Amino acid sequence: MTEPELHVNAPAPRAPAASRTQAALIARPDLVVCNECDAVHQRIELKPGNVARCRRCNALLGRGHVMPVQSLLAFAFAALLLILIGNTAPIVTLDLRGVISRATLPESIRYTWDSGQPLVALLTAATAIVFPLCFTLVRLYVLLSIVRGLVPPGFNTAMRSLNFLNRWSMVEVFMMGTLVAVVRSAGLASATPGIGLFAYAGLTLLLTSILAAGTHSLWKIGSELGSTR
Amino acid sequence: MSQFPPPASLQTGAQLHLFSCLACGRVSQLARPAPADTPLHCPRCDAPLHHRRPGSLQRTWAFLLAAMILYVPANLLPIMSTNSVFGNATHTILGGIEELRAAGDWSLALIVFIASIVVPLLKIAVLLLLTITAQRRSRWKSVERAQLYRMVEAVGHWSMLDVFVVVLLVGTLRFGAFGGVQPQAGLLAFGAVVVLTMLAAGSFDPRLIWPEEPTPRAEPSITETHG
Repeated sequence: MTEPELHVNAPAPRAPAASRTQAALIARPDLVVCNECDAVHQRIELKPGNVARCRRCNALLGRGHVMPVQSLLAFAFAALLLILIGNTAPIVTLDLRGVISRATLPESIRYTWDSGQPLVALLTAATAIVFPLCFTLVRLYVLLSIVRGLVPPGFNTAMRSLNFLNRWSMVEVFMMGTLVAVVRSAGLASATPGIGLFAYAGLTLLLTSILAAGTHSLWKIGSELGSTR
Repeated sequence: MSQFPPPASLQTGAQLHLFSCLACGRVSQLARPAPADTPLHCPRCDAPLHHRRPGSLQRTWAFLLAAMILYVPANLLPIMSTNSVFGNATHTILGGIEELRAAGDWSLALIVFIASIVVPLLKIAVLLLLTITAQRRSRWKSVERAQLYRMVEAVGHWSMLDVFVVVLLVGTLRFGAFGGVQPQAGLLAFGAVVVLTMLAAGSFDPRLIWPEEPTPRAEPSITETHG
């Protein structure tokens, strides 16, 4: 054999699903390649609560954290509810000797736009509302099909958009920002945190647990469902 | 990870023609070697597969230089102005921290100081270090540099804190003639620095911290690695 390293321990080659690739790519579910340093590892089953780290660069390779699809769906519904509450309820209520001023997040963004900073308003709207909302809606769209054993149309695009939406969602930073804003305005008027602030606090916790589960298991379920059609 | 042999037997995806899809996590292996410029796509999700992302360093440099330029107006220009019965005032980022500290909110002043001053400076410094060492294909302290990269990725978006604070103050502090808050141009520059450093970190391929050895080991074998 001229290339012994390519065939050692290889399972029976499986035909790749996509015909777009010019060269044949064989699935190697028995291996893990570190995304951050390219080191190759043997894949092992992880117990719940355990994490696997790359032995060269110490990057996180995977978690033994499997959440059933039904729980993921419930989390996504709860997140949607909290986003709706967080955007309709006031974030802070200020009282300046009887004069009440309160604002929701969309109102604050509109005032920022009107005050001559439309780009800042857009940036805030995108990272605090639009991306978290789209992230939750895309997850709902995918999960609602997966629980019924179906692969939704546009599964690949939807799943790949999750990486982008997650990267640019800043719910936890926004929550910390509301706390700082409450304290800073407390010096001028009496400030009371509103329902919207608590909704965003809950959303922070929910999104953290959703993200801990990762997307790789969903990709796997999706491709297994797709191949049995 | 006691079941793994020592790192001496470590092999890389590039040596074994293995690709891990960055989008969906599927691991693929080339059945036979193909020219290095053959476009490869993940059979599961169709995302492009590379051992190292092409153009990573050029993109990182472009975003990083833009962020460094905008860092100056972000800190010199006021991020907001206030008007009240006591008069009008403009506030820079450092000024806002000083106001918090003077009001006795030490812990919040520290949080804002870390999020608005320390994190952006650290991000720019670390990304400079990472791109320069990766460009020279350095093997110096790779594990520590990988750690720095993960740190930059983890804290990157926290600098957006000040942008959110000002937007919320603009929305809530509205008492007509008695007081109000307006956003200023420095806030836009500051938001742009946050976005640009995040884009720079996202463009950087951390695998460039680990340059391939010029000659692959003779007869590498996967079976040895899990004995």
